[in-house]
Amino acid sequence: MAGAIIENMSTKKLVIVGVILLLFQAFSFMVGGLIAPSPTTAVYYLATKCVDTAKNHQSTKWFMPWGPNQCETIRNFDEAEALKIEANNIVFAVHIPLPNKEMSPWFQFMLVILQFDIAFKMHNQIEDGALATVDVGLAYRDDTLSEWTEMAHSLEQRKLKCNFTTTKNYENEGRYYECDLLPFMEVGSVSHKYYLLNIRLPVHERKKINVGIGEIKDIQLVGIHQNGGFTKVWFAMKTFLTPSILIVMIWYWRRITLLTRPPVLLEKVIFALGISMTFINIPVEWFSVGFDWTWMLLFGDIRQGIFYSMLLSFWIIFCGEHLMDQMERNRFSVYWKQVGPIVFGSFCLFIFDMCERGVQLTNPFYSIWASDVGTELAMAFIIVAGICACLYFLFLCFMVFQVFRNISGKRSSLPAMSKARRLHYEGLIFRFKFLMLVTLFCAAMTVIFFIISQVSEGHWHWGDHTLQVNSAFFMGIYGMWNLYVFAIMFLYAPSHKRYGDSQSGGDTGANSGEEIQLTTTITHVDGPTELYKMTGKEAQE
Amino acid sequence: MNAEYVLRCLLMLCFALFSANASNWLYLAKLTSVGSIANEETCERLRGLIQRQVQICKRSIEVMDAVRRGAQLAIDECQFQFRNRRWNCSTLETMPVFGKVVTQGTREAAFVYAISAASVAFAVTRACSSGELEKCGCDRTVHGVSPEGFQWSGCSDNIAYGVAFSQSFVDVRERGKGQSSSRALMNLHNNEAGRKAILSHMRVECKCHGVSGSCEVKTCWKAMPPFRKVGNVIKEKFDGATEVEQRKVGTAKALVPRNSQFKPHTDEDLVYLEPSPDFCDRDPRTPGMLGTVGRQCNRTSKAIDGCELMCCGRGFQTEEVQVVDRCSCKFHWCCYVKCKQCPKTVEMHTCR
Repeated sequence: MAGAIIENMSTKKLVIVGVILLLFQAFSFMVGGLIAPSPTTAVYYLATKCVDTAKNHQSTKWFMPWGPNQCETIRNFDEAEALKIEANNIVFAVHIPLPNKEMSPWFQFMLVILQFDIAFKMHNQIEDGALATVDVGLAYRDDTLSEWTEMAHSLEQRKLKCNFTTTKNYENEGRYYECDLLPFMEVGSVSHKYYLLNIRLPVHERKKINVGIGEIKDIQLVGIHQNGGFTKVWFAMKTFLTPSILIVMIWYWRRITLLTRPPVLLEKVIFALGISMTFINIPVEWFSVGFDWTWMLLFGDIRQGIFYSMLLSFWIIFCGEHLMDQMERNRFSVYWKQVGPIVFGSFCLFIFDMCERGVQLTNPFYSIWASDVGTELAMAFIIVAGICACLYFLFLCFMVFQVFRNISGKRSSLPAMSKARRLHYEGLIFRFKFLMLVTLFCAAMTVIFFIISQVSEGHWHWGDHTLQVNSAFFMGIYGMWNLYVFAIMFLYAPSHKRYGDSQSGGDTGANSGEEIQLTTTITHVDGPTELYKMTGKEAQE
Repeated sequence: MNAEYVLRCLLMLCFALFSANASNWLYLAKLTSVGSIANEETCERLRGLIQRQVQICKRSIEVMDAVRRGAQLAIDECQFQFRNRRWNCSTLETMPVFGKVVTQGTREAAFVYAISAASVAFAVTRACSSGELEKCGCDRTVHGVSPEGFQWSGCSDNIAYGVAFSQSFVDVRERGKGQSSSRALMNLHNNEAGRKAILSHMRVECKCHGVSGSCEVKTCWKAMPPFRKVGNVIKEKFDGATEVEQRKVGTAKALVPRNSQFKPHTDEDLVYLEPSPDFCDRDPRTPGMLGTVGRQCNRTSKAIDGCELMCCGRGFQTEEVQVVDRCSCKFHWCCYVKCKQCPKTVEMHTCR
């Protein structure tokens, strides 16, 4: 058994494989950019001001902003003052979606952002650190005639972060404060057709509830959900990718089990990478169309987290396995120093995600950013994760540097070798560098497209076609990492070919002696690739 | 029955021809007696609409309440922006709402047209967002073809609908008269400039909601500016408005600056054809020209609200007035104010 496919494959075949992969890559970009609509939609809602005429507000009455059962509404609060309506009697009602539309399970998630329109008044300004206490109820129904069913009810506090950009004088009364957007609600599945939000801002002077929050003129909500079309294209892509990665994974593992030796660490790590890719690929989201699984959002986060940490670990181990001497490598424990930050960092992010999206499973209005302690805690988790990421990249860069130093060291001794061996090593070095370049290319593409999608307006017009940049980014990058994993599993699978069979040109027949020599000198090195043998040998020397 | 209809049409036509210069539909704001514009017959009874506007009213009856609120908004904002000027946007209870002040192609007319076109777009967009209207956003796809509408790719912004409605409803008067008259060109330009004041000041807001709330997935949307801001923008454009005249450019007629030294106006600037009168004295022949007699002024100011300029050199009288001010108040966020009453003496200056 001589080595991996990447070593024994001819350059021509390698180029063919590369071109096919590139074609698939372009295809996934096109699917995202031309077929799928933009990933998400934001819908703007203006809350209707309803008047609750009942004496006690404990009743489970729901207020509809429009339609046949419309509540008793007021246009503005000047009207309310004239009618002697108090703040406690006012209910802000928002129906999601707007009339004549229906929500759909294809929307996957729904998050709602709250914004207050607060007018500046000289005598009634927003106090420093003012807290708005929001009494909010969420209800759903599936046809326009049935009763509303309560889904969640909560008393939430949100910190008002508003500033007034012009000078505070009588002249500027009536201008609005500029307030930060407040996270309001997040639901992990949209399994009902109609949703209704009833928001109250109860005032309690003695308990200092909702005092000093200025003069609220309006409440605006922004509902964000994934586009149904994007979800469908995304699912289609996942459903197509799952079997392709699964098949190459099974094929890869079968090849490894056919070997006489037990699998080495790098082979196991590549296999684990394949598993995590498959795990993220498997389109379990199909179930979210039929079932009301609110934890799908959290589950998706966890799957992505596992894949990212697996990919980062793979890079470290890939570099490390090409670097160290034989005595130390091939054990996972050797890499604790480098893999540790990854595990710890992703664990921090996991805890943070559990605190935010985990709690949202029971209370969709919960936000860790709403309280001071929560904000500090969340920031702590994110900062620790950031430090871990920095540490990781320092380690990685250092390792890559070491590998390249070793390779160039080896290169200087190449002329002294026999021809077959030299060609072999040169090919190896070329292909290792090639793979490093591919990795760098993928990472760079991800970063570049990320920046483009952040900066650009979302869609480009190109003749008659509209290119959805954000969808192209998601589909393209997702397809790219799939192809990357695919290529690694394919190229690093053990080769059936006898060593040297596919070596270029003239030395095919004449190198059997050379081969024996080559294998005997390094028989104790039993890595998956010849490059191991090379670097391992050098380390011994 | 038939003859009555013809007669009414004729009357409408005459009316439209004679008073077309004033933005009469603003009179909707004064129609408090009409409860809500709920059926098509109400459309015909609305004073101030020309025939084509009545047709629009019948076709999109649900929007008319929003249009009326828009008219009110326009008048309120005009009065706020002009509170310190000689002409303070005072309205009459008759039609046209601003009297004959805006019938000439003055700066003031430019402002009124711009603010009213903007206010309709604003009010209709707001009505869309609060769910009052049923055909916003989704039937006018901005992002090209969407096979299944809302479920596939969401709807376009409501502002697109609001602006389009304003274009069809407000501009229809000028379009009806043919494009040739310089006044029609001026009105159309100012209407569009008013709507641009909203469109070019839309706030882009974004929310990140990727894994753990990272910016991997970011959604942005456009939010309308508060109407006070729109008013301020149009007021700034009023202060820097360009005097224009009609000239032939190629085959079409266009408005070009009267003074060729000035750089040409942009789409967002206001244009006017005639210089404004000084608005100093009451003119019985021009309803709405109330003059500045009896207006309050500011003694220390050197600007237009100062007594010097406001009273057109006629001088002013000063008296000490006892006013009851509200002080040490307790407010709730809505509808509740508890204050002490603090009487105080202020000097009040009024123009002679």
